[in-house]
Amino acid sequence: MKEKITKHINELFRDAPKTRRAVELKEEMTQNTIEKYEDLIGEGCQEEDAFRIVVDSIGDVTELFEDLKDRSLFLLPEEQRRKRAVLKAAAVGIYIFAGVVFIISMVVSEMYYALAPEGGILGLALTALICIPPTCMLIYAANMYPAYNKKEENLVELYKEAAHTGSRERAIRTSVSMLIWLVTLLLYFAISMTTQRWEITWLVFLVGACAQMIEVLVFNIKHTGS
Amino acid sequence: MSITSDILRGHTEAIILSHLLEQDSYGYQINKDIMKKTDNRCELKEATLYSAFRRLEQAGYIRTYWGDETVGARRRYYSITEEGRQAYQSYKRDWEEAKLTIDQLLK
Repeated sequence: MKEKITKHINELFRDAPKTRRAVELKEEMTQNTIEKYEDLIGEGCQEEDAFRIVVDSIGDVTELFEDLKDRSLFLLPEEQRRKRAVLKAAAVGIYIFAGVVFIISMVVSEMYYALAPEGGILGLALTALICIPPTCMLIYAANMYPAYNKKEENLVELYKEAAHTGSRERAIRTSVSMLIWLVTLLLYFAISMTTQRWEITWLVFLVGACAQMIEVLVFNIKHTGS
Repeated sequence: MSITSDILRGHTEAIILSHLLEQDSYGYQINKDIMKKTDNRCELKEATLYSAFRRLEQAGYIRTYWGDETVGARRRYYSITEEGRQAYQSYKRDWEEAKLTIDQLLK
């Protein structure tokens, strides 16, 4: 009959959130219910009646489940979310500015090529420099997920932590990928403009793809390491 | 009777605190005490009891710990905190006042 009680409570908790607190509540409830059942039997109750009485006295548990939900892992506090949005918007703005600087410097160096043949390179260097702060900003924004502090070593917590670091790592990886392709693009134009050998400089993109692969490899090795 | 159970439900938290003033206890024990004190007239539903525990815990009025029973399943005990005692005292004062007012109005 005790198994029947345990089974009944398990059934009640089927839709409960899968958190440590829910598991503890279930244990607490099962223990108290069984104790009550045993008292009823001790008072001379029939097994079936005792079972019905204890099940009846549990009441509606769905209201309890609301309290047991942990806050969503990926939800950032409002203020932080706003800060992230500002950072991202500013970063994109600076990237666009860098693009404009690049185009202008190209046009200017084209016009005054005779006076300053190295103007194109200078413009490119300037563009690359301008690109540094927004990249840093994006990486910082990606790292703004608060580190998940686990309370206890159990599977659920470990899974949550993994899921959490996963999303953080994804964000970093996206930033790194963006950086790689941006640098590749800049290199492509730089090399092409200086050497004027457009028919072969596209190979730079293959180098970029290689860098991307290396990045994937590095992250995977880090993963198997931990 | 329906008035009693309604009022009782509204005061679940104070009733729990009052039980924990004397000694630490666990869910079923508290419910048993309630039944004993009311001559089996009143009993709290477990769901009501546990949600009250959670609210009290979140407010910092009670603390919880697992007992170390050597036989059978372990029990989850609750103990009252200093804040809990203070909350209980002010609750008690409010209730005395409310009781007086209702009595005056129903005479």
